[in-house]
Amino acid sequence: MSVAGIGVGVSRRSFLGVLAGVAAAVGTAVSFLGSTAAAAIKPVARPSAAQMKRLLAYYRTKPRWASWLVPELNADDGWQRWMRTILNSKNLPIAHDNFSRIGTTIKQTHHWVMVMDERRCIGCQACVVACKDENNVPVGVYRTWVDVVETGGMVPDPAGPIVTDVGTYRSEVKRSSMPLICNHCDHPPCVDVCPVKATFKRADGIVMIDYDLCIGCGYCVEACPYNARFFNPVQQTADKCTFCAHRLDRGLLPACVTSCPTHARVFGDKNDPTSEVSTLLATLPTTVLKEDLGTDPQVFYINREQEVYDENSTGNTVYPYTANLNSNEYATLSGNAPLPGDTGGQR
Amino acid sequence: MPPTNYYGSGLEQGYWGLMIVTYPFISGLVAGSFVVATLSQLFGRKRLAPIAPMAAIVSFALLLAAPLTIWGDSRQPSRVYELITRMHVPYSPMALFLLIWISYVILMLVELYAVFRAGNAARAEWAGQPLRAKLARLLTLGVRGRDAGSVRRDERIVRWTAGIGILIAFLFHGYIGFIFGSMKSRALWSSPLIPVLFIISAIVSGIALIQLVYFAVAKWYGWRIDKAIVAELNIWLVGALLLDLYLDMVELLMSGVRSYAPEETYEWFNRLYFHGPLLWTYFLFQLGLGVVLPLVALATKRWRASIVNSGVMAFLVLMGVYMMRWNVVAGGQMASKVTNDIVSFPLVWTGYDSVQTVVGVFGVAVLLFLALTWLLPWKNGLQGSSSSTSPVAPGLDDVGVSGVSLNTPAGTASTMADAQWPADQPGGNP
Repeated sequence: MSVAGIGVGVSRRSFLGVLAGVAAAVGTAVSFLGSTAAAAIKPVARPSAAQMKRLLAYYRTKPRWASWLVPELNADDGWQRWMRTILNSKNLPIAHDNFSRIGTTIKQTHHWVMVMDERRCIGCQACVVACKDENNVPVGVYRTWVDVVETGGMVPDPAGPIVTDVGTYRSEVKRSSMPLICNHCDHPPCVDVCPVKATFKRADGIVMIDYDLCIGCGYCVEACPYNARFFNPVQQTADKCTFCAHRLDRGLLPACVTSCPTHARVFGDKNDPTSEVSTLLATLPTTVLKEDLGTDPQVFYINREQEVYDENSTGNTVYPYTANLNSNEYATLSGNAPLPGDTGGQR
Repeated sequence: MPPTNYYGSGLEQGYWGLMIVTYPFISGLVAGSFVVATLSQLFGRKRLAPIAPMAAIVSFALLLAAPLTIWGDSRQPSRVYELITRMHVPYSPMALFLLIWISYVILMLVELYAVFRAGNAARAEWAGQPLRAKLARLLTLGVRGRDAGSVRRDERIVRWTAGIGILIAFLFHGYIGFIFGSMKSRALWSSPLIPVLFIISAIVSGIALIQLVYFAVAKWYGWRIDKAIVAELNIWLVGALLLDLYLDMVELLMSGVRSYAPEETYEWFNRLYFHGPLLWTYFLFQLGLGVVLPLVALATKRWRASIVNSGVMAFLVLMGVYMMRWNVVAGGQMASKVTNDIVSFPLVWTGYDSVQTVVGVFGVAVLLFLALTWLLPWKNGLQGSSSSTSPVAPGLDDVGVSGVSLNTPAGTASTMADAQWPADQPGGNP
């Protein structure tokens, strides 16, 4: 327990999870201990070589299926000051429920979102492969996938190629590729329903699972409206997309974003007005999936309705929804692109 | 082991299998048989007093077996302690499970103690069975008075525990309904009707089960079946079935009619229950054979007193309630969340989450029931109900409500222990 560092969190956190339960019972005694001891222990950003050796030995004896070891966050977020944070889980930059605390009482530095630009997706499934490769996702389950969506149907046409007993038809369908991923909702029902607080929402918006705590009841898998969660058949716990948190915390983009050949997946910080996602969200109409459920998804789709999009002619542009376009917010970002429906002068 | 044939195909699949179908069924039986016990203990239906101890035993045995279903369904059963150490209340209804279950077990222990204390006190004086006498002495916790005053005190405890217990029974079963009803991701589950429907069908199944268990033990011991009890149980069964039918019809109208239901709910209800794989389990087994036929067959007084008719109908009702659980759990998951077609929900016969495990859970419940029947003096009232000739000891006749009716021949109060429990000993049956 004296080892302090980024990597050791797994064993310690599962142990401390039990300890936290006891702490709840003991109450003030433990928090008193935590607050006095916190002054003595300095935050350690990196494990020493000896600690790293012990860490690797630990993982060699207890191999994990998932490639990422621990949810690592910036030292500024308080993860490494474990006497203050983990013993007193109220200080952790995560939320198990009551998500409106994020950004208010829980300090939010970043707000990671993804924008799926369906004007650009060609359905090559490179992101799916990259995700499987990066996260060691077992055969048969997927953290991200690209659906082929077909809309429309058969219309009667005397010259059509499809001849049946009841008439001649031609197909009037539209096909599009639809990248799907965990929506990292701002109000995720999957996190609320977990009976043992094994899944949580990080302050930067990422919904994650602690595989050492998951009891595998399946409640979160059922509660996700987007079927983004699944049972990992190897580690026998619930599993899901993490936005490649292990890469993010080292300053890299998620694997699916890196691998996308057409830049259809755009990832970034919604809190940063200069980021590409902020620009996209401010300038283009976006939709989210199953908006009526009120989960507030943080994966946005551009051109979900697959209307023909021509940048030079706004006349052909159809904006299926404009509810997500906040012109005030856009103005605070001092954008100067023409807004949809903006006929000039009036805003 | 992969739970379904479609595992590994990457397709959407049902995650909650047969064990989760069985869990609400068993917990419904727990709540329902408890309600049957309370009919005499709390609501003064004295005619049902003889079967109240038996109903309490059935309820307790099933209560102990119920967690096996969800424990067996859990992928990480060794982490079950986290339900205590990391309980996510009040946000997760599932986190309430251990809390409710443990309080229910404690309450049932208190109730069983009070129901059987007088009987155990009598049993403690058995000469021929030292082990069981010792156990009975242990189970009285040292309180071995059998006078009217102490019996009346037992009765008061039973009344209190029954009153609190019926709330906990509804909570125990209601929270399961709430787990389904509160899930907005599933169009067919997300309905405030589901918890109520679960509780009513739980009562239905509990009455039917007690009816069947009564027939079984009477057959086993060669007792004459008291038709008054059968008819009384059937009356309650018909009442509960009518409520159940009403709620089923409301659900059918609120989900199966295009003008009334949300689009997603209507579409899946229509595709699964009207034209899909659940057509027969819903309309024939759940509604037809499970509700409508028993309602017709138990319509007249004569039919309600018929033992064969009641037995068949009780069985059909149980089957119908199981089918209702199947239709809810399987049907909800057959409606795909993200794609266009019906999700496969294959029946697995052996291994994880299969028919085999369901049979095993019921086997455990039966074993627990047998053990409890060996341990506790539950037969007194039932035997007494068939022997109309034996007079009742003065001062004890009015306490039969709590199931501690001591049908002792008058004037033998001093040798009550010997006179009262002859047939309770092994081999002593007529």
